[in-house]
Amino acid sequence: MQINPELLEKIVAEVLAELESADGPKSAAVATAAPEKVAGVVLVEKGAAARGTDPKEIVLAISPAFGTTFKTTIIGLPLASVLRQVFAGAEEEGIHIRVIRVYHTADVAFMAHYAARISGSGIGIGILSRGTSVIHQRDLAPLSNLELFPQSPVIDLPTFRAIGKNAAKYAKGESPTPVPTNNDPMARPRYQGLAALLHNKEASFQDRSKAPQELSVSFE
Amino acid sequence: MAIVAGIDIGNATTETALARIEGRDVTFLATGISATTGIKGTLQNVRGLRLSLGMALERAGFKGDDYRAIDLIRLNRAAPVIGDVAMETVTETIVTESTMIGHNPSTPGGIGVGVGVTIPFSGLARASEGDSVVPVIDAKHDYETAAAEISAAMARGVNVTAAICQSDDGVLIANRMSRVIPIVDEVSAIERVPLGMRCCVEVAPPGRVISLLSNPYDIASLFELSPEETKQIVPVARALVGNRSAVVIRTPMGEVRERRIPAGELYIIGPQGKRTVNVEDGAEAIQKTVIDCYPVENIFGQPGTNVGGMMERVRRTMSDLTDIPIGDIYIQDLLAVDTLVPQKVVGGVAGEFSLESGVALAVMVKTEELPMQRLAKAVAEELGVKVEVGGIEADMAIRGALTTPGTKPPIAILDLGAGSSDASFMKTDGTVTLTHLAGAGNMVNTIIGSELGIDSMELAEAIKRYPLCKVESAFHIRQEDGTVRFFDKPLDPAVFGRVALLHENDMLQPLMIPNISVERVRMTRRKAKQEVFVKNALRALEQVAPGNNVRLVDYVVLVGGSAKDFEIPTMVTDMLSRYGIVAGRGNIRSTEGPRNAVATGLVLSSTGVAQ
Repeated sequence: MQINPELLEKIVAEVLAELESADGPKSAAVATAAPEKVAGVVLVEKGAAARGTDPKEIVLAISPAFGTTFKTTIIGLPLASVLRQVFAGAEEEGIHIRVIRVYHTADVAFMAHYAARISGSGIGIGILSRGTSVIHQRDLAPLSNLELFPQSPVIDLPTFRAIGKNAAKYAKGESPTPVPTNNDPMARPRYQGLAALLHNKEASFQDRSKAPQELSVSFE
Repeated sequence: MAIVAGIDIGNATTETALARIEGRDVTFLATGISATTGIKGTLQNVRGLRLSLGMALERAGFKGDDYRAIDLIRLNRAAPVIGDVAMETVTETIVTESTMIGHNPSTPGGIGVGVGVTIPFSGLARASEGDSVVPVIDAKHDYETAAAEISAAMARGVNVTAAICQSDDGVLIANRMSRVIPIVDEVSAIERVPLGMRCCVEVAPPGRVISLLSNPYDIASLFELSPEETKQIVPVARALVGNRSAVVIRTPMGEVRERRIPAGELYIIGPQGKRTVNVEDGAEAIQKTVIDCYPVENIFGQPGTNVGGMMERVRRTMSDLTDIPIGDIYIQDLLAVDTLVPQKVVGGVAGEFSLESGVALAVMVKTEELPMQRLAKAVAEELGVKVEVGGIEADMAIRGALTTPGTKPPIAILDLGAGSSDASFMKTDGTVTLTHLAGAGNMVNTIIGSELGIDSMELAEAIKRYPLCKVESAFHIRQEDGTVRFFDKPLDPAVFGRVALLHENDMLQPLMIPNISVERVRMTRRKAKQEVFVKNALRALEQVAPGNNVRLVDYVVLVGGSAKDFEIPTMVTDMLSRYGIVAGRGNIRSTEGPRNAVATGLVLSSTGVAQ
């Protein structure tokens, strides 16, 4: 199917305008960003996210303001690089990633679980703007998970690459070794306040009445 | 009327049988079991003995520490037995000047064979038209850049035939290029890859293995080698067999060789004198020498070698524990099993592992019964109960085993434990021949541990004990026999997608070993059990059977902890059926299964009933 980018832009703008009137001035930042441009990545909404049937796909759910209001993770990694690394990790394993933006929640567990439920392979990833990530599987309870990366300040780009790789391996039915992560006892005192503020900010972009949207992703 | 406790201190467990004896009538009241504390036959055993006895007392309705209720404790005359197990690696692969990269990245890029000269990635821009080159890409270069520059060089007419890269980028680079070239990735020590040398890269299609670089004559054709040089390249080809991708680089001085590590010699002393066998000759040669020297009087290892160290360690431990001078300790049996040990290739550039051959050794020491008398005295003093040391273990075991329904002399029993495999044979007239052999459950653990590269003995023990499965979804597993089982509740996410051990109560224990498969673990586990238990069963029966002829035995009862295993009894039964022997797991007093045979025998022998 041929997609007319201009038409898409218009539709997205309209949808967002509607949202804006319903949601107040907070989402004004979203309304102006269509197509949303992150340094190095273009995210275009393609309509409501559908359930996939391709066993070679995993679904990546990003949070409401990922790449729009937020451009970097809590430690300043560009979100474009984060996406690129997760994509690379999965591609190396021969698995393809479909990206959705979730509006109804900013809870990474529920985002990832939603992604897993509509994923053809049953494996989903959730990533918050500040970097917190989860690998999920559709048959698990939402607050359970396959791998959880709760400390956003210690997640670096190689870890994001490994998250993509491991999610792809789960999708292939392999048994990967869980991604090794750093632990920094100072991360909590140093970042907890900031993380709370970032979460509040991200949660303010939530729209409980809006269904998750499929995104097309192109890197520049 | 008297209450008698038969207590069997084994290498792994201490078992108790508590009975009331009135004249010639024996009523069994209860049994107890506990882990043995310390090495069998030493004073450290008292703590485990208390636990085991306490358990039996409580089950019989007494108080757990009411030792006065017991009139007599009978202990097995267990000579302390140390089954020490050791691994000796006898070969190692050494790569000098890195001529090969034989590692197996899970996802190499592209497919095919490429021959060219290795150049640094930065040198790609300077390569001239028509050159056949293989760029070596370090982790500093991103996959996009790498793919773009290779494509640009190709467009200029440079013949880029293959690539070697450091990060896990093989597929990513291959996907971004118009022409397919083989790419080997995850070469960790990429700075050690020699540059400016002729090199060949091969990547096989998924599910296949390389065919060119594992064939010495193909390597010879690629690098125009002389017959002498071809001979030298054989270890390279051998090391690459079974890989999906490989690189061979021809350097002027480089070589790969397999070195045999001097593991030391064993001196086995028998009635005909001393025989010598080299450990690196493998298990078969060692075992043959042991049989030639039967009955073995003593075994020594060559001083200054690993095996010499092992033998001395066993002697010293034994001597420390029993206060017997080191010179009076005799090693009377040895079991050797060939194994394969994953070892890091010396001088490899990609953290390659090669399966080297090794020999696992189990030895057994028998000392005098002096220590047992000492233990009996200690128990008597601590508990305030009369203690006597009963008959020999295998003798007691056979009396206990005869309480299995459907058995009668002449009969042989195999007591498969953790530290030793014992056998005894009872003729119709009640005379018993017996033997103690090295190698049992603990040796199986050692072999499983070394072949799978596991350090934890608990994990090796669990692998030995429980069947495997692969968790295929949150609701179903595929068991090692191929059957699928479904669960109503979702499984723990920690086991999702993993190879796991299926414990009792459907508890799943995931195996966190990289790149492990159900088949590999199963094969290793079954091979270890075959090599130790099946081999030992036959060896033991040969020694106790009338005229050393196994075929003259009609009935064999398996007892001991390892007889409770889910597959060892069937393996032994299967092997013995070829000799026309009825063999099966015992069922002591029709209630205890294969356990408690010796303890039961100890109680029975106090009355003379079993005679």
